[in-house]
Amino acid sequence: MATQYGIKCAVNLITAHFGDLVAKVCECLLRKGPLTLQATVRFTELTSSQVKNCLLVLIQHNCVQAFTLEQSVEHGDAAKANTQYIALFDNIIHRWRFSKFLNIVSQNLDKQCVDLLEALLQHGRLTLKQMSDRAKSGQNEGDDVILDAVQEAIIKLLNAHFIERCPASEPVLTNPTKQELAARKRAAKSAKIVQEQETLEQRVVEAAAPSEALRFLLVTQTELAADGGKDEIDSSIVTPGEKRKRDALESETEYGAADEQVVLWRANFEEFIRHLRHKACIENVKTRLDDGAVTVLKAMMEATRSTEKKVKTENSVPLSLSSIYEEVIKSEEGRNITFDRVRASLIQLSCPPFVKADNESYSIDFKKIIELAQNEEAESIVLKRYGKDAYRMFRLLSNSGHLLETDKIADATFVEKKETPKILYKLWKDDYLQMEKLQVTGAKRLQQFLLWKVNKNILREHVLDEMFHAALNLSQRVAFESEQEKEMLNIPKDKLRDRLRKVALLLGSSQMKLDDAIMLFHDF
Amino acid sequence: MSAKRKRPGPASDSVVTEHEKMVHEVIRSKKDMGASQWEMKREINVADNIITKCIKSLLSKNLIKEVKSIQNRGRKHYMSAEFEPSSEITGGAWYVEGSLDTEFINVLKEQCWRKIYGMKVATLEGIADALKRSNVSQIELSKQQVEEIVNALVLDNQVMEVKSTGTGEFASIPVGKVCYKCIGKRGYGGEPKLGALASIPCGVCPQISRCTPDGIISPITCAYYQKWLDF
Repeated sequence: MATQYGIKCAVNLITAHFGDLVAKVCECLLRKGPLTLQATVRFTELTSSQVKNCLLVLIQHNCVQAFTLEQSVEHGDAAKANTQYIALFDNIIHRWRFSKFLNIVSQNLDKQCVDLLEALLQHGRLTLKQMSDRAKSGQNEGDDVILDAVQEAIIKLLNAHFIERCPASEPVLTNPTKQELAARKRAAKSAKIVQEQETLEQRVVEAAAPSEALRFLLVTQTELAADGGKDEIDSSIVTPGEKRKRDALESETEYGAADEQVVLWRANFEEFIRHLRHKACIENVKTRLDDGAVTVLKAMMEATRSTEKKVKTENSVPLSLSSIYEEVIKSEEGRNITFDRVRASLIQLSCPPFVKADNESYSIDFKKIIELAQNEEAESIVLKRYGKDAYRMFRLLSNSGHLLETDKIADATFVEKKETPKILYKLWKDDYLQMEKLQVTGAKRLQQFLLWKVNKNILREHVLDEMFHAALNLSQRVAFESEQEKEMLNIPKDKLRDRLRKVALLLGSSQMKLDDAIMLFHDF
Repeated sequence: MSAKRKRPGPASDSVVTEHEKMVHEVIRSKKDMGASQWEMKREINVADNIITKCIKSLLSKNLIKEVKSIQNRGRKHYMSAEFEPSSEITGGAWYVEGSLDTEFINVLKEQCWRKIYGMKVATLEGIADALKRSNVSQIELSKQQVEEIVNALVLDNQVMEVKSTGTGEFASIPVGKVCYKCIGKRGYGGEPKLGALASIPCGVCPQISRCTPDGIISPITCAYYQKWLDF
């Protein structure tokens, strides 16, 4: 669910990349939810042709997905299927992380792969031919050599799951059954509309996604040309233990060589976010524990990465001590680590519980690591904005998880009883705390007590919105400083240029760091 | 007989004493909670100035004493001499003269942290013993008081609460027992790592809810940004 400032950030990004018209259409979909073409035209007050072109751009760049809701046939009418368009908020925000994605590939694969990914990020989606043509234009070598090199790079990227087949252009969503609707209603009582929209976006994305067997599969021309595709298919399927369903594959690839050429490929944002999530977990553990523990954690992540079904995996697949040791000694840092040291590190990692042990099997508690990191971020804001006393109070309420009365808070945090309500009010006014009043009829008079609480879900949304607000502010300031720089270029003042360079560095690094925090609260 | 000394007549003597008795009774009835002048007025319908006189007289006779109350710091509070003020009035062990004894608390906190640091892993009993042996506090600290100090260190994020696993560094501590360790690699008083939002002006800005892209308060006009980018 996009927060208010999240939407503003998304619109700001689209404006910068594609202009005002496209941004207008995008904003309309973000604020109103999925719409048909006609409805979008009505709300944006643009022409049908303009809206169509904008939607095409947004779809090309994976920011919008078209879909159809299956309509039930009533009273003998023909079943109508109206195409709707839904904005994909996450994919829009990923646009400001492209440099991080390229960095991941450059650390793991060669330059050709980096160039290929850069092309995909720049153009949104490309066919194999388009990627080869692009590579040819910068080379003097023969066509076949280039095609082979491009294919090789694509296979490497596919093996690592950094790129994927594009989703279906217009999947049909079947209506949920009565039971599904009832279950959804029960589950989403408190945030009905929000829950439904989230579910719809997830359903659309799921329905559009290619099957796991096909998602990272490149069927090469030579293989398709030979024997109608019934021969051994180039295996770029990496996921271990997955049964190769050749019949299902054939039915999906029945079109043949020509159709395979028009298959579109795009960056697989999910895998990049997974990498960044792992990196963030390791960074967090590094601040608390020694190098040995960090190396063991890294090894466990490497060993179980490919088994993670979704980005927000709560626990890794359990591993035995010996499997962990085998993985540890594969890495450069872990080469000299002994079996006993691995065992000792696992004990270290259990406090705080980053790793859970169960019958000699160990699994990483990602949810815990992420939660701790989120708490630290929120607490840091409270400390810097409201001071040490507020920090203690906030941590007390956050750790306890339930309502506490003012005087109890004063006692536990060693703050004067008279000062405590003032500090708590400030936190409450700025939506960091919830407050409830309790009236008790005492011996002679009515007494009023104030009770305070941290609601983690509400807090997370609020902090995330503040982060998006800050990110938007940083973007604006960057644009402003760059305008200043343009005016200063004619004036040869070294000191001024030096200042502008430092400003650009500071703003740039702050944007990167803040984006890590946004991912922590939204994507991880 | 001195001409200067004007002796009050027998009739006026008994009236004052009578009122004094009433005032004293009210104060005494409140035991270790004591009473303010305002409360006394509510109980006995006597003029304010008479009550004031009585209080002065009772004080001089050491029948009552003045105590500081944390609940109503503005008003003076009186207690019958034979009682000691309850913790509700004084605020408890950590209050002195109606205010928190911040200096004492801070000294204790630091000493506590140093004991835990020295022991690597410490139980509450271990910390209490160590504090007793080092004579940090002139008064004996109860286990509850030590616990309150340790909990405050946890809230400061200087110390973390853990459960003993019975192995490794917890070898000498029974399994499941609550104990404490110093956090991370920073010394006493070191602040936790600065978060991403907290390291930019917006993160600490009290006006963030009023800041808008085109408003009077905006990132372009922001004074905090100007200061931050003032190289």
